[in-house]
Amino acid sequence: MFESRLRLVGSALAVGLVVGAGGLVFAILALGSVRDASETMFVLGALAFGFGLLGWSGSILAANSVEAMQEHLDAASGWTEQNSRRAMARIGSFGFGVMVGSAVATVALGGV
Amino acid sequence: MSTETKTKQAADERGFLARLQASPFLSDLLSNRLAVGGIVIILAMVAIAIYARFGALIGIAPDLQTLKTTQLGTNPSLAPPSAAHPFGTDIQARDIFGRVLYGAWLAMKFGTVTVAISTTLGVGLGIVAAYYSDITDNIIMRTMDVLLAFPSLLLALALVAIFPDELGLWRAVTALTLVYTPRFARVVRGAALKVLEDEYIDATVALGAKDPRVLVRHVLPNCLAPITVQSTLNFGLAILDLAALSFLGFGAEAGTPSWGLILSNGVKQGLLTGEWWWSFFPGLLLAITVLGFNLLGDGMRDALDPRMRDAVE
Amino acid sequence: MVSKRFFLKRLLLLVPVLFGVATLVFAILHLSPGDPAKVIAGQRATAEQVAAVRTELGLNDPIWVQYGRYLFDIVTLNLGDSYIVRKGVPVLTILRARLPVTLELALYGQLLGILFGIPLGVLSAVKQDTITDHLTRVGALTGISVPIYWSGPLLILLFAQFLGLLPASGRIASAYDVPVYTGLITLDSLVYALSGGGFGAFQSAISHMLLPAAVIGVYSMALISRMMRSSMLEVVRQDYMRTARAKGQGAKITIMKHGFRNATIPVITVIGIQFGTLLGGAVLTETVFGIGGIGTLLVNAIEVGDYPLVQGTVLVFAFLFTLVNLGVDLTYSYLDPRIEQ
Repeated sequence: MFESRLRLVGSALAVGLVVGAGGLVFAILALGSVRDASETMFVLGALAFGFGLLGWSGSILAANSVEAMQEHLDAASGWTEQNSRRAMARIGSFGFGVMVGSAVATVALGGV
Repeated sequence: MSTETKTKQAADERGFLARLQASPFLSDLLSNRLAVGGIVIILAMVAIAIYARFGALIGIAPDLQTLKTTQLGTNPSLAPPSAAHPFGTDIQARDIFGRVLYGAWLAMKFGTVTVAISTTLGVGLGIVAAYYSDITDNIIMRTMDVLLAFPSLLLALALVAIFPDELGLWRAVTALTLVYTPRFARVVRGAALKVLEDEYIDATVALGAKDPRVLVRHVLPNCLAPITVQSTLNFGLAILDLAALSFLGFGAEAGTPSWGLILSNGVKQGLLTGEWWWSFFPGLLLAITVLGFNLLGDGMRDALDPRMRDAVE
Repeated sequence: MVSKRFFLKRLLLLVPVLFGVATLVFAILHLSPGDPAKVIAGQRATAEQVAAVRTELGLNDPIWVQYGRYLFDIVTLNLGDSYIVRKGVPVLTILRARLPVTLELALYGQLLGILFGIPLGVLSAVKQDTITDHLTRVGALTGISVPIYWSGPLLILLFAQFLGLLPASGRIASAYDVPVYTGLITLDSLVYALSGGGFGAFQSAISHMLLPAAVIGVYSMALISRMMRSSMLEVVRQDYMRTARAKGQGAKITIMKHGFRNATIPVITVIGIQFGTLLGGAVLTETVFGIGGIGTLLVNAIEVGDYPLVQGTVLVFAFLFTLVNLGVDLTYSYLDPRIEQ
């Protein structure tokens, strides 16, 4: 149980790190400034991280009502607390990875 | 083979239009008086919009520039409704009747753009989610669910802040497009899953048809009905939300004859001093239009195949 | 019953919710095209002045340092000072004064919506497909179609301009100066009246509240009655009801009485989810009636680019929304015994 969660978060985080660092290089080429590129990548990562975090906690918070309402109305849309939490954990970890990846790459490129 | 399946097969072969005529959807819809009322309202508004936009080209309706610029000196300022100005004039002596009619064009135009873009995006996401289930599906749909949980007007306000002011009404359109996309994605995925469950898709896949072909040829046509219903319901909402953003100052640029903006000026500058016509008429047309779309949308939902109805909220 | 552990777990979830919202707000404000340094320095400021403000605000630091500082400020409840709307005043002070205004409006509106919406929905379901049902449904549909920024002005026209019965805007007549206890003006003026200040202020506060609350109430009523109707009909359609229904129309009504509790459960959830829409409605209603709540505050702040104020207001909105849904969840768990705690 714990292991599978770790794997889920870890793999999304790893992808995020790579995308963050790689994306920074692209952003520098596109925007022409390490500073702007670093800010853009970090903020985009923060967008995903914040969204994932909000969605993750929101899923737990709203779980009972949403699941039972679907049951009541007999209109299942495939929402379950578990799969929502998992999706949000992936998005959040990915975003966090992008934040860290772009920050580390900025420092490595001497952009501070 | 039973008669029923035979008829179904025959209908399948006759193409979409014939299928629509054969289906109980249209006859159900037309026997619903409220829905027919909705259709009449919508057609009337479309006629007004076309008159205002294209009438300006051939000179039977005032053009946009006249409607935007002040008419002080030509018309009386703040005149109550009269034969010359059926909806009265505003503080800049502009004819509110002409402005409100042109507002119908703007509402239809920007409503169409908003709904069209969000339908396209939603169809794409929904079908991809339905077809490539598991992680892709889960990430797309749960993201849509979280977005759906945000209050729409507040989300639109937050998004409006991201885009530069110079975009005018397009800024509001972009924000609303993002707000509406999840609704379409959800409906399309639900409908597409039901279609995919049907055996003939399995058969097509088994025969080795490539993914995009199955999606475009088989899944999409069968989702058209719920997509149309959702588009109709959201068309009214889009007009309403666009006007709300204009009302709050995040939509059309000053002077544009959009319903939300005329209303906003009318409420802020004319309501407490007694110029009721300034805010009354743009609001009246707005409310009637939205009611038209809601009546039709509700009727369409009731006429929908019950299996698909679940997907449309 | 709702156990203490269940309750605490929910309450604890507020932390990641707000952390997530704060991060989203950070991201959105950094993506927006405005430059806070330019906003503060003013339009006529020189490039040097703007640069000085940038340094002062720490905008030259690496973005992750800014993010860390931002989070730290929020945790220590240091939400900064307003840039423009009320220059120099702490955001927290502004929010504390404005929040009760919106809260009061939403509360009365929601109350009206529930009081009228539930009975109407039940009536519509019991009398399914009769003229009463059709009227109620069209009424509800109209309630959703008519924008608040039009129904509000219409009510003002009718009751304030033509009939002269009710005031058109504001929260209380300017003649009254009621001391602030809770910030909820109807409550404050009632306390004031009971402590010997006379009932004039209370009357004035109530008459000012009627129109805006009715505008929000009609909208919420329309939503709730539609949901209640379909929920009631759903309950009737369920298997255990089917047998009873076979016994005839009389039995159907009896069954509906029993089904009422089950039918309210999804409606409660909808009330919670719709609270956000209600807050959106409050933004519009405040604008129409010239009431200075956090709705108009947010709109002003976004318009002029008052970043600290936007941040603070959005956080408060998110907090409120989550809190209400937490309350809904608890009510829900209480009503529905199947939910394990």
